[in-house]
Amino acid sequence: MNSGFWKAVVLVAAWCAVAPALAQDSDRSRYYIQQMIDLAATHDETGVTAMQRMLEQEPKPPPRDPAAAREALQRGQAALRADDLNAALTAFQQASDNDPGNADAVNHLGLIERKLGRLPDAERALQRALALEPTRASAWFQLAQVYGLSEDNRRARGALANTYRFAQNPMRAEEILRNIAESEASDTLRTAALEALRLYQLPVEAVIVPPMPANPGIVPLKTTPAPRQKP
Amino acid sequence: MIHRFAPLALLALLALLALLAGPLPASAGQYETLDYHIQQMIAQAAANDEAGVQTFREQLDNLRRPEAGDPVQSRPLFQQGQEYLNHDQLKEALSAFRQAFITDPADAEIAGQLGLTYLRLRRMKEAERLLVYALALAPARSASWLHLGQVYGQSGDTARAAGAFANAYRFAPDRSRLAGQLRQLATTDPADAVRAGAQRALQPTQPLPAPAAKPGAAANLLPPAASAPVPAQPAAPAPTAPTITGPAPSTPPASGVLLDSLRRGLSSLAKPADTAPPAAGSRSIPTAGEQPGQQIYRSSLPRTCLIVTFRRGKTDSLGSGLLVSADGLVVTNHHVIENADNLAVKCGERESVARVSRRSKEPDLALLTTTLNRAESFVLNEAYSPDLIGLEVFVIGNPYGLEGTFSTGVISGLREIDGVRYFQISAPISPGNSGGPVILRDGSVIGIATMGLKKGQNLNFAIAAAELIHSGLFDPARMKMSTAQGKGR
Repeated sequence: MNSGFWKAVVLVAAWCAVAPALAQDSDRSRYYIQQMIDLAATHDETGVTAMQRMLEQEPKPPPRDPAAAREALQRGQAALRADDLNAALTAFQQASDNDPGNADAVNHLGLIERKLGRLPDAERALQRALALEPTRASAWFQLAQVYGLSEDNRRARGALANTYRFAQNPMRAEEILRNIAESEASDTLRTAALEALRLYQLPVEAVIVPPMPANPGIVPLKTTPAPRQKP
Repeated sequence: MIHRFAPLALLALLALLALLAGPLPASAGQYETLDYHIQQMIAQAAANDEAGVQTFREQLDNLRRPEAGDPVQSRPLFQQGQEYLNHDQLKEALSAFRQAFITDPADAEIAGQLGLTYLRLRRMKEAERLLVYALALAPARSASWLHLGQVYGQSGDTARAAGAFANAYRFAPDRSRLAGQLRQLATTDPADAVRAGAQRALQPTQPLPAPAAKPGAAANLLPPAASAPVPAQPAAPAPTAPTITGPAPSTPPASGVLLDSLRRGLSSLAKPADTAPPAAGSRSIPTAGEQPGQQIYRSSLPRTCLIVTFRRGKTDSLGSGLLVSADGLVVTNHHVIENADNLAVKCGERESVARVSRRSKEPDLALLTTTLNRAESFVLNEAYSPDLIGLEVFVIGNPYGLEGTFSTGVISGLREIDGVRYFQISAPISPGNSGGPVILRDGSVIGIATMGLKKGQNLNFAIAAAELIHSGLFDPARMKMSTAQGKGR
């Protein structure tokens, strides 16, 4: 028996001990996702795959109104392209309500929540997306950014490692990680990317001087005109 | 509850056992597949096995292609990268090609130029990966084979360099030109293995020793026109042979009231990092048509430093500094570095870790040692007298992390605070300017930007350079000073 086998047995045993406490499907899914993050952060490939398989066996919610969900999804994508985040948020929420099993809709919901700075909501939505599709690299990447913004280095590292692991084009993912590791102003995310690349023994240069924020706190100097005095 | 989950656990265990019976899928395996084919092409080329090279080329062609990106977005980035590369702005080129590659990872030319940029940055591992990837996309792209040969040569692998060079020749649209490039590499490249690899590829009738992966055979790669003999012992290469870039492409005392006000209202200008290049030369060389400010900026920028401090492993604060010796001594304010666990500096485009050599709370100064040798440094100006009031001054620093911010003003007054001489200046400075140079029109440094009055406008203060010169931080053997009044050129 190889060590991978025993690791898997231990993981399943641990799951059997924890699972009864996880009454909701979503709680179970979140547990598996956190396990995937923790195991990826230590480069435990076998463990990540085991948890991925467990997630894939979870029941998926049936669609309520697939046509309405598709229409809302398209509306949300158009609003996102127009940078209208509030409209996009509403549309993606509708899409997700109409088809709770649509990973694309929930993934976009997570993206918008992250862009709006609602990190706990973004985390929840992205975890839902990953519960539906554990190999969705873009959701792992968004989740890594949420953890980066939350200054959670370990989770950011694990999520980035899974981004690379599930990337359709690993070379592109590798270059994205190198770009973050060498150019990102946030210490947490930059360090997480550096560590993720090193987990995979991929080449990267650690920066000596971290990059400066591109536009630190620069805001338009607009003002409202003073009301005209009546003559 | 246990009953509810027990069957699921059993299923999961069975699934895991089934899973562990076979090899685990790994996305990283894709690169290894591509690399295998490229290495085989190198080995076949070394064996002069045309059919073998063709077989592996066809296999590469049959592999699943990466999803194409958006050329409308990627091509302008690519053109920008080319511009930077042509002007030897490698970091900028890297950034542009990276963005282009991320936008369209199916464009072999973009991947190849990203690989070349890594090669020119001497990042061989990254260069190899990108060039292998580019060749998997376009196995007949001669330029990428040539660059991959240079990567192997510069890594000391003569055999692979020779095989890759052979393929560069094989797929070259203009073989005589490629042969010329190989001859240049064979005679002038500083890396022994590059020269040897190119020579082997140029040998008209000699067998090419094979790369480790596969034994070699005879090679006859060049037609008569391209097979001009190469010197058996190439002339010693010039140490800086160019890389082939590829065919495609002071002091009236202040009143007591004012002093108290200053003590209460002055705020130091170090910038905490979590809210968020540089200066004038000792003797700037004027360029026709340039204004004095432009000259000062251009010559001072490489001598002005960004100071980044780290605490508990994270970026803590930002400040500025100035190079004061050719062997990399940097002066900044003590308050910039006082809480740091570690330090890094960036002077112009050069970066280094830094160590506190000497420090002083009064005056508020610190001297850092760096690894920046052969550095252009500032001349410190000892002048401090009322005659200086009204002179134009220039400030470079990194306010709020805005690197290399340049501002101008005048010497507004001379102030002595707690026994330390300061220049009051009207040049705007902000948190992050601390430790940066205040420069006279002759390029000498008259002061070190240190603090400002929160109330009021442009009431800023720089420790007089004279304080530095007369402090324990000054090393006359390594630092330069002048006593000129700096009224201009």
